[in-house]
Amino acid sequence: MRLPERQLAVLEAASATDERTIDAVAAETGLKPETVTGAAFDLRDEGLLAVSETTTEVAELTDEGRDYVDDGLPETRLYRAAADVGAADGAVPMGEAIGSADLAGPEVDIALANLPRKGFGRIDSGELAVDPDADPDADPESAALEALADGEGVDDVAVLDRLASRGLVDLAERTTRTVRLTDAGVDALMEGVEAAETVSQVTPELLASGEWADVEFAEYNVEADAPAVEGGRKHVLRRTADRVKDVLVGMGFREMEGPHADSDFWINDCLFMPQDHPARTHWDRFALDVDPMDDIPPALLERVESAHRDGWGEDGDGYHSPWSEAFAREVALRGHTTSLSMRYLSGYAGAELEPPQRYFSVEKVYRNDTLDPTHLLEFFQIEGWVMAEDLSVRDLMGTFEEFYRQFGITDIRFKPHYNPYTEPSFELFGDHPETGEEIEIGNSGIFREEVTGPLGVNCDVMAWGLALERLAMLTTGAEDIRDLHGTLADIDFLRNAEVSY
Amino acid sequence: MPVVDVDPDALRGLTGHTEKTDEEFKTDLFGLGLEFEGETDDGELQFEFAPDRLDRLSVEGVARSLRYHYGDDRGVYVPETNDAEWTIEVEESVPDERPYVTGAVVRGVDLDESALESLIQLQEKLHATMGRGRAKGAIGIHDLAMVKGAPLREGAERSITYRGVDPDGETFVPLDSNDELTPAEVLEEHDTGRTYADIVTGYDRYPAIYDELGLFSFPPVINGKRTEVDTESRELLVELTGTDQWTIDKMCTIVCYALSARGATIEAVEVAYADGATHPAEYGPDLVRPNLEVDEKSVSHDRIETLLGVEFDPEDVVDCLERSGLDASYTLGEATTYEVEIPPYRVDVLHPLDLVDDVGRAYGFDELEPRYPDAGTVGGRHERTRLEDAVRTSLVGLGFEDLLNFHMTSREENYDRMRIEPGTGGTAVASDDGSGDGPGVFGGGDPVEITEPYSEEYTQLRTWALPSLLLLLEGNTHNAYPQDVAEIGFVAERDERENTNVAESRHVAGAVARRDASYEAVKGRLQAVCDDFGAELETPRTEHPTFIDGRTARVVVDGESVGVIGEVHPAVLVEHDLEVPVAVFEFDLDALR
Repeated sequence: MRLPERQLAVLEAASATDERTIDAVAAETGLKPETVTGAAFDLRDEGLLAVSETTTEVAELTDEGRDYVDDGLPETRLYRAAADVGAADGAVPMGEAIGSADLAGPEVDIALANLPRKGFGRIDSGELAVDPDADPDADPESAALEALADGEGVDDVAVLDRLASRGLVDLAERTTRTVRLTDAGVDALMEGVEAAETVSQVTPELLASGEWADVEFAEYNVEADAPAVEGGRKHVLRRTADRVKDVLVGMGFREMEGPHADSDFWINDCLFMPQDHPARTHWDRFALDVDPMDDIPPALLERVESAHRDGWGEDGDGYHSPWSEAFAREVALRGHTTSLSMRYLSGYAGAELEPPQRYFSVEKVYRNDTLDPTHLLEFFQIEGWVMAEDLSVRDLMGTFEEFYRQFGITDIRFKPHYNPYTEPSFELFGDHPETGEEIEIGNSGIFREEVTGPLGVNCDVMAWGLALERLAMLTTGAEDIRDLHGTLADIDFLRNAEVSY
Repeated sequence: MPVVDVDPDALRGLTGHTEKTDEEFKTDLFGLGLEFEGETDDGELQFEFAPDRLDRLSVEGVARSLRYHYGDDRGVYVPETNDAEWTIEVEESVPDERPYVTGAVVRGVDLDESALESLIQLQEKLHATMGRGRAKGAIGIHDLAMVKGAPLREGAERSITYRGVDPDGETFVPLDSNDELTPAEVLEEHDTGRTYADIVTGYDRYPAIYDELGLFSFPPVINGKRTEVDTESRELLVELTGTDQWTIDKMCTIVCYALSARGATIEAVEVAYADGATHPAEYGPDLVRPNLEVDEKSVSHDRIETLLGVEFDPEDVVDCLERSGLDASYTLGEATTYEVEIPPYRVDVLHPLDLVDDVGRAYGFDELEPRYPDAGTVGGRHERTRLEDAVRTSLVGLGFEDLLNFHMTSREENYDRMRIEPGTGGTAVASDDGSGDGPGVFGGGDPVEITEPYSEEYTQLRTWALPSLLLLLEGNTHNAYPQDVAEIGFVAERDERENTNVAESRHVAGAVARRDASYEAVKGRLQAVCDDFGAELETPRTEHPTFIDGRTARVVVDGESVGVIGEVHPAVLVEHDLEVPVAVFEFDLDALR
């Protein structure tokens, strides 16, 4: 019979008549106890060894317990000190006894609680009297501490429990395994067992020579943790963006692309945002210190201005707000990617579009908001639109239900809303998957004719937008947007964020 | 979004629904788009709503909407107006910046504390919204009993005058003060004056309203104390000045509707613009105000049906419109069209489409059955983002942690801490650099700066991505190394050849931060990326202040200088509190196309 070397050693160290502990076998063989345990179980599986387990309660002194072994229990020290100042003959002021006992901080309370309990004395009206007949030397708690300190066992469970509740000993269960040779084990040894050669690594030489057939491979602790490996990973928010793009492409949407720095014309004027709208003021936008945009198609500019001033169509009123071409030409960071939609719908970004069309983007926008768990100065906006003849609110609802269903949000609600650029408009609400709280997950609507008309679009366009970070929070359950995005990101957070797909 | 404070007892009184509980009101108002936000200290309910129905900025308007909602009222309501006794004379001297005025007289007012508070709230909320912080329109409300108005022209019984005055001319006692102050002094010494000073400080002459006793209102800043309104006031003079006649007329109308709902009687005023004064072109120089004219728009049956996706009986459409406080008539035919009348307090109906929205709300958008539009289109990604994604995949495969950093940064981060200067590289020197040595200092392009930035940390767009990577490494010195990080991200610099005057591009940047980081380590990775995309990489030696001399090179891909690679200079490392070597590369993504 051939056995791996370590198993053979254990087998030889075991006795057919006595139970031997793992530690004893380890000491004899020079193997680590865990190696012996592993080998013993393997030998048991072969039927060569019997393994038994016994569980015993072991008590170990805590640091505090160990201190009292040296110094004596506080109540004992108080008893002796009090006796020295005459408390055995009659009550003495407590302060006097405590002072001479040299007790530190919490030891005072400990002594005062335990002294009467053990019948060493009485405390009454701030005075202490001790019983001259009490014998602290016979105190079972002190004795148990001494015994544990000497490595002896203590059988009195009540005393151990008391010491444990005082925090002086820790009680723990310990499993002791013992081994004994089985009859088969004895037979095997009688017949002779050889050690198999063990190797640690499969090598090219071993494979080429064919020696691999005759060797045993050293065993690993396959349950042990391995050193960490840090691979690269795609950013958690990018993965969410990828997922969104997949869904939208699957629904027939094409991706848009365009400038981050754009004229207010494309960002806001085309969108029928009045020039004195609060969102267009200094405080909300990031104006850039560059020259105004020269090249805006003049006919388009004129139509947009006219929609603002006089409205669009026979019964259109327009705004009663100032409109200046100079403002329209100013360049700023886009506050929404709807600027891209305007460029595409007008045909400026490429070909004139004929219905039906679906377009989307998942791109960065810039807003001068207050940074908080749900707002960043820069974030990603998911933007999408559908252009077709005679689109209705029902089509809008059907499209968004389908989109959100892909992310497990099946109960979206449409709350009528107001936007300067869409009518009707709806805020979209859904339930947070973790908290169940109702949260806003998008804003949508059908572009007003004051938007589509000047762009030269003669059919309906429905559009919606939402923050990617908002969707990521919904689908990952994250609660602070700043964990997800920015230079303050924690690299450990990025490495440990759960992969979504 | 605007928030309106509503006294629930007043709401019960004004709607006539004394049986309604606060909770029932909250539910009913949610149906109208007013969301309960909380309670004020005095137990008023606060509701937030979208800024279209500005006629709901007070409890009176909210009550009116509820009465339509409950079916208590139908169709258009316009309060009766008595003939004018007062005239507002507009002098040629009014400031050019604020030429327009309007107003109304309100009699039989009985204001308790709650009603007065509501009126003041309405005034303030209108200032904040339509009035654009009083710049576009401001409301002054006065106790008419304290206004003395001798007639100033034939036919007029009583008059006040809107004129422009010398800022340091006459004095008056403003509200919340006991001192006689000139308008200029009000702007300096009075709290309210300081708050609104910005609106008028550029004017040569300040707006002022006079009666026969003198100046009693300094719009849009503050009223005089003499005409202060309190709960004893029984007759009010409402005056509004602003930059747009339509806007102040609408604000005036909303105030008149609110006071009328409290049982007051509206009396017209005449507004007479003098010959030399700017008057509103669309209305002429002589106006009778408030303007309670009903607007009309027509909307086709077909448009309502296609937009809502529902087939309607015309009577049902009329019913929906009347329940929205509108009136409608129609004639059946090939193209049935509704003539819709819109009450003057509505400021949100700019187009017939807005009426379809009202029909939808009255019908109930919840009733609509979603359907997926039957329009086939072909989807696809943009080439640029596909390339970006493919390069990202390569970088991740090489062990780089993918980053997503902000595009806005500061001059300090972008240049100073990297030891480079603006205007030393990028397109700024590429065009006229005859040395054949590439585009100057990589990353040293001209910054695109934010006009009047609000934070020192975000003053410009980044011209390169490496500063962001180093900033991230700086913030992660407590975490384990190696830290190999990369980003494919947006960068921008000034470039007058672009239509936007901003050149935008994407850079690929990678950093290896670890004990054994070296030029060779990072070049090996760069080489692997270039190989993936069949691009030929050369790294001719160069100098760059961010890097160690002799350990830095230009990244030349397919013969074009597109980036930089090297070991980061110890001075830059120390500046970023880094205690390990860092080797990096950065180049233009387009080089891999």
